[in-house]
Amino acid sequence: MKTICLWILIGSLAGASTVFAQEQATLPDRIPSSLMTFFVTSEPIGDGGNLGGLAGADAHCQKLAAAVGRGDKTWRAYLSTQARPGQPAVNARDRIGKGPWYSAKERVPDYLKRRLSRPMVQSQIHGDTLAEAQRGSNMQKEFALTEKGELVNGIGDPMPTRHDILTGSQPDGRAFTDAADHTCNNWTSNGAGSAQVGHSDRIGNGNQSWNSSHATTGCSQRDLVSWGGVGLFYCFAID
Amino acid sequence: MKTAVVLTAILALLGLAPSEAIAQHGMPGGTPMTFFVTSEPIGDGGNLGGLAGADAHCQKLAQAVGAGNRTWRAYLSTQARPGQPAVNARDRIGNGPWYNFDGVMIARDVAHLHGDTIELARLGNNLHKRSGLTEKGQIVPGLNDYQVPRDGEWEYVKTTPYTNRHEMLTGSQLDGRAYPPGTDYACDNWTSNRDPAPGQAQIGQEGPNRPNAQIGFPDRNGGGNGSWNSSHGTTGCSQTALVRTHGVGMFYCFAVN
Repeated sequence: MKTICLWILIGSLAGASTVFAQEQATLPDRIPSSLMTFFVTSEPIGDGGNLGGLAGADAHCQKLAAAVGRGDKTWRAYLSTQARPGQPAVNARDRIGKGPWYSAKERVPDYLKRRLSRPMVQSQIHGDTLAEAQRGSNMQKEFALTEKGELVNGIGDPMPTRHDILTGSQPDGRAFTDAADHTCNNWTSNGAGSAQVGHSDRIGNGNQSWNSSHATTGCSQRDLVSWGGVGLFYCFAID
Repeated sequence: MKTAVVLTAILALLGLAPSEAIAQHGMPGGTPMTFFVTSEPIGDGGNLGGLAGADAHCQKLAQAVGAGNRTWRAYLSTQARPGQPAVNARDRIGNGPWYNFDGVMIARDVAHLHGDTIELARLGNNLHKRSGLTEKGQIVPGLNDYQVPRDGEWEYVKTTPYTNRHEMLTGSQLDGRAYPPGTDYACDNWTSNRDPAPGQAQIGQEGPNRPNAQIGFPDRNGGGNGSWNSSHGTTGCSQTALVRTHGVGMFYCFAVN
């Protein structure tokens, strides 16, 4: 992040017109964007896979959004829970509204004045058709920013890596249907169990999945850290 | 590279096997390189001298780093012409698995590379910014690297190797196959360096006579989708036109053996 900022800074000093320089100067005011409807939590709850259930996770999204002035929207954590006797499964994809979603950065510095942060679309992020799955979506490292507009450390960045994002979901955004734990006991366990995670930088475990790359062993905060995450999750605005 | 050699030598002296992290192609214990992004373009826009010219470029670059013992193919499709069937990039590159300069696997096989089933496609292959390396082991500068006003000008870009140049020529659809005849997606089967006639210059105004190449991104970041092999078209087939949208006419090379 710092390196990239530095390069941009050098670029703006070296070859830019006055207009370009002015745009650089005003950029920080637009982060987080007033259009922000998606972010990665800048901080975990901190108790491993125990998020206080879906309600606790949603409240964390709401709290972080409010802290940057976006508490006017209704935020949902992108998390699935598995079926229990008398309690149906909840699919992450069904919790987050319809989109399209925009990240915290309204526009990356760009002399062409294009809005590079193209929105994400429900069917694209989940690859609902073969072509959509092959083509992919704009969910990538520079889009998956925190509510403060900051990059999440991934592979190749300074340690610690924070790119394991809790989802408890299959690649299509739905809950697992087998008997094994994929959700840290529906986000109440900070000890035994397992959480399915995706990678916010789309790198790791030989695949590019943002929402279902691999499982963790264990649900304690320490377990999550050993796998390359700290217990961050995705938040989407439903309105 | 030299550091890695020295480290490997030290580890060998200590009786330790080289770890995966520093095992590189051509070294004992390293996985041989069977995939790379060309470190430089041919330089004449979409005119690569046809598939043969592109393959020769792959072979030449591989030869220069000691990997010329393999048969290299450019990942490019050509469209059907009267009396000349289409060629699909996916059918040219052997069976895999393919490994990059660092010995990291890009894909197990053709189906994994392209995501032939929806399950495979959702997970994706292992080509990303840190694995899409050139034959020299370089990361290809991408969308957020060194953005400057002149990074769409060839005269500047060719002497500034760290500006964004992430558009790889493929001429292919998402599944790695050629486009049907008609609209140009392969710079006249990689023989054209022409630009569109006035009024045809916009991406999206595809027509039979508009020079155009389909491209993808090794850094998986661009075009709002990040497709590695079929994200969008170009503004023309001249070197200048390719650079305008942040490519320089580089392409993927795969070893078939």
